[in-house]
Amino acid sequence: MSAGEMDAIREAEERGRTDVWPFWRRAYAAGDPLPRIECAVARPTYRFDEGDALPAEYRELLTKMLRHEGERAGNKSFLGFMGTCLDLAEALYPTREARLVKAEYLAEELKHAIMFHRLAVGLDRDFALRDVPYAHYTFHLPRETWADDAYFHFFVDLNGAFHARDWRESSYLPLAKMSATVERDELGHSEMGYHFLQEICGDARGRRLCQHLLEKWYPAALDMFGRSDSKNAPVFIQWGLKSVDNAEIRRLYKGYVDAKLVALGLDLPDEHKNRRFL
Amino acid sequence: MSEIVEEIRTAYARVGIQLDQPAAYGTYYRLLCAGCGRMVGNVGDRLLPGMATELVERQRALYADGLLGCSCGHQQRSVAR
Repeated sequence: MSAGEMDAIREAEERGRTDVWPFWRRAYAAGDPLPRIECAVARPTYRFDEGDALPAEYRELLTKMLRHEGERAGNKSFLGFMGTCLDLAEALYPTREARLVKAEYLAEELKHAIMFHRLAVGLDRDFALRDVPYAHYTFHLPRETWADDAYFHFFVDLNGAFHARDWRESSYLPLAKMSATVERDELGHSEMGYHFLQEICGDARGRRLCQHLLEKWYPAALDMFGRSDSKNAPVFIQWGLKSVDNAEIRRLYKGYVDAKLVALGLDLPDEHKNRRFL
Repeated sequence: MSEIVEEIRTAYARVGIQLDQPAAYGTYYRLLCAGCGRMVGNVGDRLLPGMATELVERQRALYADGLLGCSCGHQQRSVAR
């Protein structure tokens, strides 16, 4: 994307600012909200830019990673999923302001769809147009209340922020270049979910609902990082596409979410209960 | 109709919620109140086997207390039967 195009998007975003939106502003004003994600093993230094000849294994792993990410304009399932977010907001929104905040969220996700589309086109045009429905069950969990929706954003968008933080050091330069924007936005989306959870936990009934629903979302959120014994993880790390393995990024993520959940007055579920991918 | 979707449909029918037609290219489904037809949520078709049954059963107390379900009270009445 050209600098001029980015300026136009930035200007439009700045006009959308309110006391709360974007939520990342307050989070980063208090310092770096995310933990450091650093590679602890010796590995070669690779750097690949758009148009470079990519080793076959590298291309395969990079494409696999981006397939999981999913936020591409050419991925009709992603756009369909965004539609369900609007549909849900229309049915469940607690206030007009909350519904408008959800529209800001969608606008930002669609910005990511443009950014990842450009990246995908530079990598492989066929891949850029491929429809890839979200495969992980967390994206398919039932959302029946605003609290479900808030948990979805708190946990799932935060997963995106952690991965984007890891991409800061990515050996694929186009990904490294956009990582800070994606991280910041996704952290903001997580904070949006947390903001709604704070509101809902403001009374005893709401807190009871959130405590109960946490049993559904907590194991799913931890499962999103994949199996701790993944054979692919060391290969991703060696190629510079990831810095740490699944267990380590999950451990860092768990430390972050646990502190926020305790601050809401919620009891943490057993981390092994209802888990599918240990 | 996949087995997962059929499991979701059956699980929700027990608490007075209907699965609508597929939306979003066949991946997601609206959940509708079986009493008044109002949308009460959505669900995707990639849940793992047994998950829908388990999740809905675990939520029965929330429907009974009116913490989940339609404002018309249909789910509250359904789980009380």
